[in-house]
Amino acid sequence: MARKKKDRAASGPVAATAVVMVLYITDSGPNSVRAVANLEAICKEHLQDNFRLEIIDVLQYPLRALADGIVVTPSLAKLFPLPTATVVGNLSDKSDVLRALGIVE
Amino acid sequence: MDPAVPLTNPAPFGTDVDRVFKKAILRLVKGGPERLAIEAGQIDAIIDPGSGNAILLPATQRALIEHKAGFRSLIGLAFDWYWELDDHYRFVSHRGATGAADAFEEGIIGKALWELSIDNMSEADWQTHRQQLEWRVIFRDLEIRRVDRAGGEQYLSISGEPIFDDRNQFKGYRGITRDITERRRAAAQEPHRFDRAILDALETPIAVLGQAGAVLSANQAWDRFAASHSGVGAGVAAGSNYLAVCDEACGTEQVDGRAIAAGIRQVIGGERAIFRYDYACDSPGGRSWFALTVTGIAGNEKACAVVSCEDITERKSGELLLGLEFTVARCLADAGAATAALKSVIRAICETQGWNCGRYFCMDQSAGALRFIESWGVPSAVIEQFLEKSRGMLFRPGAGLAGRVYQSGQPLWILDNARGAGVSLTALAPETGEEGACVFPVTADKVIGVLAFSSSRVREPDHRMLQAMQSIGNQLGRFLQRQQAADALRRSEMRFRVLTNLTSDWYWEQDRDFRLTQVVGCSAFGTTDTLGLTHWDLPYVVLADAGWAEHKSQLAARWSFCDFEVATVRPDGEHAYYSISGEPVYDEGGAFTGYCGTGVDITERKRAEIELRESETRMRAAMAGAHPVGRRPSRQKTST
Repeated sequence: MARKKKDRAASGPVAATAVVMVLYITDSGPNSVRAVANLEAICKEHLQDNFRLEIIDVLQYPLRALADGIVVTPSLAKLFPLPTATVVGNLSDKSDVLRALGIVE
Repeated sequence: MDPAVPLTNPAPFGTDVDRVFKKAILRLVKGGPERLAIEAGQIDAIIDPGSGNAILLPATQRALIEHKAGFRSLIGLAFDWYWELDDHYRFVSHRGATGAADAFEEGIIGKALWELSIDNMSEADWQTHRQQLEWRVIFRDLEIRRVDRAGGEQYLSISGEPIFDDRNQFKGYRGITRDITERRRAAAQEPHRFDRAILDALETPIAVLGQAGAVLSANQAWDRFAASHSGVGAGVAAGSNYLAVCDEACGTEQVDGRAIAAGIRQVIGGERAIFRYDYACDSPGGRSWFALTVTGIAGNEKACAVVSCEDITERKSGELLLGLEFTVARCLADAGAATAALKSVIRAICETQGWNCGRYFCMDQSAGALRFIESWGVPSAVIEQFLEKSRGMLFRPGAGLAGRVYQSGQPLWILDNARGAGVSLTALAPETGEEGACVFPVTADKVIGVLAFSSSRVREPDHRMLQAMQSIGNQLGRFLQRQQAADALRRSEMRFRVLTNLTSDWYWEQDRDFRLTQVVGCSAFGTTDTLGLTHWDLPYVVLADAGWAEHKSQLAARWSFCDFEVATVRPDGEHAYYSISGEPVYDEGGAFTGYCGTGVDITERKRAEIELRESETRMRAAMAGAHPVGRRPSRQKTST
């Protein structure tokens, strides 16, 4: 399963450049489902749709994770803006995610 | 996704999978974020760096299996069968989603859909469907109907999509089948649901009859009526033959089943548009009346007549009681004597209410107790014996049912089914005949007696019945009171006439112009010749004008006169003497209406008086003639 969310028209103050992320998950595993929900909430609150997110199911695309150097799922990889960063786990630690995305509260 | 593919159970710890997983963990950097996330339980899978495959954590594996099982269950709710067709549209598989039996008993593997026993698709329809398949389009909700071996109709909805292989070559179709029989039946019933709801909402029992008299349909009120009543209509539920029940019903006083059947046949046959029949039904709760109405239905092949049974118990009961009150009034008006009136009233009440017998007890003031006066009962040895025993009964005020009713002035009733309810019917047997009883007072300003009825059919009276009791008691009481007064007046008049006859020879009456209107007795003036004449116009009356003038002045002054003597000359020339007395008569308004009085023949007395006067006269004359002879000569001599 590979899902992509493109940047949509933001309604409020947004970052100057869209954040590009890839979330690696395992089908509907419990932590994967939770990671998707946590990331959706963070994006809605802090990025206001000014982002691009690709969700990759490693069960369907195993080589893609291997190629991207992903070791476990769920993992979130921020690709842009640089520097890149990776967050491992179900993204329940919000500050950790924000720090990786370069967003300072 | 093929829902029929079985899912494997999660691998428990200690298995090869578990060992592989642990081995993969050991490859991770100790203290690194991945190891920390695994220890925190936030990881679902580890990527094998050799193959790139995901190694699922046991918990994740279990969760995925449960998720798939749940999804499979949901799919099972969405359709009943899953099938696949080959590239020639022949079934290669047909499996039930939840283990349901195959929809086609004859077997469909190797057959195309149009080769199955489907009866609602025309050749043109199949042609259209085949065209869809040729075009490789997705088809949805193709509804087919088939008849199973039991003769039942089955509706199926089929949807399918084409299958292509990796090289985009057409492989066939796959799809789902849903059994929509129940939905189609419900949809077929939908137009009738509104009418049905209205029929069921009606309180009147209604049934629709077919040509042969079978009950095609009935509302809920009809079903309740059939279950709770005996007689015509009982047990005639939908599917039964109403005409047959009516034909078999024995004719009774309340209902004639054959008459009803004949009426229904006339309506079904179109001989009449409507047939009405009122009848009674006995149930444990009492007798009920129903107005049966049969109305013809035109232009329908199945339904021929509508039968309705309206409960008219309240109206009928009111009519009966009103009729009873009228009958009682007529009995009292027609009756000559009190006893005859009592008997007819008691009979009317008994016949109207279906009671066995009734008795009237009147307060005998001299005895200080209620005494039996009159009764009526149905012809029965038991009833006659019971009434015979009642003849000697006396009830003191407050004693027995009759005494209590007399004392309280309120009706009382004992129900026959009061057995076992703490009421000793045996103790009341002398009054009730070991049956139910109804006793109510007979009043005329005050209670003058009681009417007591006995029957097993006595039921608790309703408000209308209590009203009728009060009305009948009042009517009867006032009638008896008037009868008593009339009897007393008659006796008084009789005594007066006897006294009048003793003291006079005749009785006379005059109008306001003093003309005789009635002469009763041995009048000296006769009867026929004297009517219309005044006393002074009577023939042969001898009286000086002065005497008549004085008498007329008395009459004009409306004075009473006494011993006014008149004389008549008889044909033989003899005189007869009469003494008449009279007094003026006034009506209720005080207006003068004439005179009435008596006459006495005083001829003998007057003749004796005349004889005596003449005798005295003669004696005086004789004495006067003898005195000169007897005179002292000396005196005569002296004068001479």
